[in-house]
Amino acid sequence: MAMKLPSSSKTAARYLTIFIHYLAQYIKTKMAYRWDFFIHIFTEFLQQSVSLIFILIIFSKVPAIQGWTRDQVLFIYGFFLVPFGIYSGFFNHLFDVPEKYVLQGEFDRILVRPINAWYQVVVETMRPELLVSMIVGIIIMIHSGSRMGLVPVWWDIPLAAVLVAGAALVYAGVYTFLASLGFWTEGNLGLMPMVYNLSQYGRYPMTIYRGPVRFLLTWILPFAFVGFYPATIVMHRYEYMGYALLTPVVGIVSFVIAYLFWEAGVKRYRGTGS
Amino acid sequence: MKLIEARGLTKEFRIFSRSEGVMGAFRDLFHRRYRILRAVDGIDFAVDRGEMVGYIGANGAGKSTTIKMLTGILVPTAGTVSVNGYVPHKDRESYTRGIGVVFGQRSQLWWDIAVIESFKLLRRIYDVPREDFRRRLQQFDDILGLSGLLNLPVRKLSLGQRMRCDLAAALLHNPAILFLDEPTIGLDVLAKSKIREFLKEINNEYKTTVILTTHDLGDIEALCPRVAIIDRGKMLYDGSVDNLYSQWGQDKLEDIVKRIYMGQKPTSGSAGGGWDIG
Ligand SMILES: Nc1ncnc2c1ncn2[C@@H]1O[C@H](COP(=O)(O)OP(=O)(O)OP(=O)(O)O)[C@@H](O)[C@H]1O
Ligand SMILES: [Mg+2]
Repeated sequence: MAMKLPSSSKTAARYLTIFIHYLAQYIKTKMAYRWDFFIHIFTEFLQQSVSLIFILIIFSKVPAIQGWTRDQVLFIYGFFLVPFGIYSGFFNHLFDVPEKYVLQGEFDRILVRPINAWYQVVVETMRPELLVSMIVGIIIMIHSGSRMGLVPVWWDIPLAAVLVAGAALVYAGVYTFLASLGFWTEGNLGLMPMVYNLSQYGRYPMTIYRGPVRFLLTWILPFAFVGFYPATIVMHRYEYMGYALLTPVVGIVSFVIAYLFWEAGVKRYRGTGS
Repeated sequence: MKLIEARGLTKEFRIFSRSEGVMGAFRDLFHRRYRILRAVDGIDFAVDRGEMVGYIGANGAGKSTTIKMLTGILVPTAGTVSVNGYVPHKDRESYTRGIGVVFGQRSQLWWDIAVIESFKLLRRIYDVPREDFRRRLQQFDDILGLSGLLNLPVRKLSLGQRMRCDLAAALLHNPAILFLDEPTIGLDVLAKSKIREFLKEINNEYKTTVILTTHDLGDIEALCPRVAIIDRGKMLYDGSVDNLYSQWGQDKLEDIVKRIYMGQKPTSGSAGGGWDIG
C-alpha cells in the first residue's frame, strides 16, 4: 500500500483527468450533430424566458406578493437558476439509472471499471451545455439586484458560492436517492416528473405556500434550500438567515444519506438474465 | 496461494410472480410472492496463474452468474471468493484494475464514439502509460486486424468486428485475468480462429489467466487444457479435457458433453478424477 495522502491526491487528479476526457468526447459527438446541440441550448433559453415572462406578468397586476416585490422574486429566481443549471448539467440524468442501467443491465459495464460507479454514471450522462442556465441566472440576479438598489459587499460572492454548492448538493442528493430506488424497483417509478415539478417550487418565496407544503419543501424534499432560503441572504434580507445558513448542511446531509442508499442499492444489483 | 479461489460460491435470485388482473396487481403491492432460484449452488473453484479454463454448461446452468460474481458485478448470496488478492465485490475499484472482461452479448465500449477514442478513454481510466498503450495497440492490431475499424463508432461495427475491438479493449491495461463470457458467439469460422489465436498468444506472452464460457467446444479444444462443467448451479466436473476423453472412451468432445448434459455418468470403472458425484 502506498502512503495515504499522495495516493488520494493522485486519485483526485485521475478523476479530474477522466472528467476532462469524457467532456472532450461529449463535445466531439455533439459537434457531429451541431444543430441538435444548438437547438438544445436555445430551447433551454426559451424555457427560462417563459418562466421569466410568467413572473413579469404576475407582477404587472400586483406590486408585491406576500411581502415580496417583483425584483426580489426575480432575484430568487435568478439565484435558483445557478444550482438548477448545475443539476441540469450533471444530475438530471441520474433518472436513467432505474431503466437504462438497472433494468437493462448497463450497470454491468460500470461495475467492471476501476472508477467509482456513481461518478461514472454522472460523467457518462452529463449534459454540460445546460450549465447555460447559470449564466442566465447570474444576469437576472445582477439586473434585479441593481434595480432594488442592492449594494454588494465583499462576502457576497464567497457566501453565494458556498450556498450554491450546498443547493447543488441538495439536488444531487434528491436525484441520487431517486436513482437508488431503481435498484429496488428495477424499472422506472414515474416519480421523476413529480419531483421535478416540486423542485420548481423552490424558486418562489415560501410565504406563498401553506404550512404543509412549506414543511415538505424544507424538511422532506428540501427544495426550499435550492432557491428561496439561500437567495434571501444574498439579497440582504435577513429574516430567514437561520435557514439560509443551513443550506450547506442540508446539502451535505441530503447527499450523504442519498449516497448511502446508493451504495446499498448497488449491492442489490443483479443485472439481467441474459 | 491460488489466483482465483472460490468456496461454496452461491447466488440466489428472487423470482417474483405477478398476479393477474387489477386486484392481483393491488395484492402484489403489499405482498409480493416469490420463489428462490439458486442459479449457482455451492461451487468450489480454484485457478492458478496462467491457466486457461473453459467453463461450460447448458443454457441457464449458471455460467454467466458465476462470471459476474468473479468479476465483482454481483454480490454472492453465500460462500467466499478471492481473486488476485481481492474480494471482488468489496474492493471493486482496486480489483477491477487487474482484470479484463468481455461479454459476448454486450459491448463494454461506448456506443457513439470512435473505437480509438474509446481506447484512449480506457487508457486514462486504467492509467496505462502512453508507450505501453501504443505498443499493445500495435500488437493487437497485428493479430486482430483493427486498423480499419478504429475510426468507426461501435454502433457501426458488425458483431465480429465489435468483438475484436472489445477483446483489445479488455486487454489494453494488461490485466492478470481475462474473463470472457461467450466471446465467440455468432462469429464466423475465420473470426473465431483469429480470436483463438489471439488469446493463445496473449496467454503465452503475458501469462494472462483466462476464464472463458462458451457453447462452442471448438474454443475449448483449441484453448483450454482444463474444463469446468456446471449443471443447474452445481459443479459437475472440473478437470482436464484429456481426462474426459479417456474416461468416456469417445473421440468427439461434442458427443461427450452432450451425454454429460443429458445426465449420464462415465462408465463406472474409469470414474473418479474430476467428477463431483454427490
Ligand atoms: N438477473 C437475474 N434475475 C433473475 N434470474 C436470473 C438473473 N440472472 C440469471 N438468472 C437465472 O439464473 C439462471 C442461470 O443463469 P445464467 O445466465 O448464469 O446461465 P448461463 O449458464 O450463463 O446460461 P446461457 O448459456 O444461456 O448464457 C437462469 O435460470 C437464469 O434465468
Ligand atoms: Mg450466459
